[in-house]
Amino acid sequence: MIGVLNLANAAFRASLISSSHNISTYIHPLYFRATEVLLGEPLKKKKRLDPAVVRAREERKRKKLQKRIRQLEKHANHMKPIFEIDTLPELLQNEKRTRHLSVPLSEKEIERRKSLEKEWCKYKHSQWTKDLHVINSIIKSQEIALKELKAVSKQLYKKAVEFDDLYMPYSVTGPVYTPSIKNYDNPDGEYIETTVKYIGE
Amino acid sequence: MMFKRILTLRTPNSLSFLTTKTSFDTGISSTSKVISRTLSEQSTDIDIDIEKWDLLSAVCLERHPVITKSMLDIETRFHNMLQQAEFENSTISDFEMQKQNNKNRKTIQDFEDSWKEEFTNFKFAERISENEEDNAVMSLRRKLDKNLVLLVEQKIGNSNFWIPPQSIRKHRETMIQTAHRTVQELCGNNIKVKFYGNAPIGFYQYKYPKNLQERGQNGAKIFYFLAKYVSGDISSEIKHCWLDREELKKNLHPDLHKSLVKFLLPD
Repeated sequence: MIGVLNLANAAFRASLISSSHNISTYIHPLYFRATEVLLGEPLKKKKRLDPAVVRAREERKRKKLQKRIRQLEKHANHMKPIFEIDTLPELLQNEKRTRHLSVPLSEKEIERRKSLEKEWCKYKHSQWTKDLHVINSIIKSQEIALKELKAVSKQLYKKAVEFDDLYMPYSVTGPVYTPSIKNYDNPDGEYIETTVKYIGE
Repeated sequence: MMFKRILTLRTPNSLSFLTTKTSFDTGISSTSKVISRTLSEQSTDIDIDIEKWDLLSAVCLERHPVITKSMLDIETRFHNMLQQAEFENSTISDFEMQKQNNKNRKTIQDFEDSWKEEFTNFKFAERISENEEDNAVMSLRRKLDKNLVLLVEQKIGNSNFWIPPQSIRKHRETMIQTAHRTVQELCGNNIKVKFYGNAPIGFYQYKYPKNLQERGQNGAKIFYFLAKYVSGDISSEIKHCWLDREELKKNLHPDLHKSLVKFLLPD
């Protein structure tokens, strides 16, 4: 029996030393066989944390959150102020403020203003009727042009009245009181940041 | 085979309809005509009239006012009244209250003076440009408060005319495409314009002289498109001018002016 084992051992070693002279006993399932060499080390043992430390950490996290919640609750009833609205009641309460007009207007002045308003109404009305005439004339002119185009060719007419997306977002910069200055070097302005940061923002 | 067709024409001046019967020999049998119509997308409608009339697209290129018009007498008076009423009804501001306090009146006065000085020292651009006196009709900087229309000198027949830029429609072009091409060919690529739509806004037609009519063309039908000048300059060497409404009346043919005024905003 021992002799057989020795032989087997020798055969195994031989197989390790020179792979060209492999002797295999692995013919029958009951025969012995050599396992492959494992070139590895056992896994590192997981470091176990002290349960007290873990608890402390969680505690700290919870405390932080609680503090934040408390802070928010403290200011829950306090809305972020809107200055534009806040100043209005302040102004209304201030009775000291007077209007620029100290003495009431004279009869003559009131009469003058009334007549001027009437004159203005007449002027605007005539302007409006003139505008209507102009618009009517433009519409008529376009109708005639389109009718003529239709008489010439239906296809050209169709192309002309087709909807075109290109025109739709229309923007225009209107006339100004004084024209722009040529080659004007716009100076950079200075500013002070006054925005207040509120809690919970 | 005779191919009969009824053409409905409308004269620009009188609104009555004019019905003319034109008949001509097409030289093609009706069946082949039907086939050719289904084969090619282009309807024969176009070709029939093109034989008789030249189709033209013209561009009324406008430079809109850069500055506001000066106010009329009634406008100034009403404006002043409104301003005064506004001032009278307003309450005294914080700044004015500070000013009424005798304590720091002096410093506030200093502030006000410095602001006033800054304002007076700032030089605004002149509302009346120098070009106005020079009457430089080529310049785009003239008559800043008025609508200006571009006229170019174009040869029609044997003589030159001052007209809005126009050109004959080419085959397979829509009218607006012809208009775009007209601007590019006559004014160069440097100018940027924006059209006010694909539909023509004005129409003008005229007949050719007798000797030309005998060759087959009756006359020209011109479709006007409105466009506005955006930026750039006319780069080509074409003779051009920017005219306001009054100058337009002087320089245009009366009939043409009549049909242009229909769709141009008056001053």
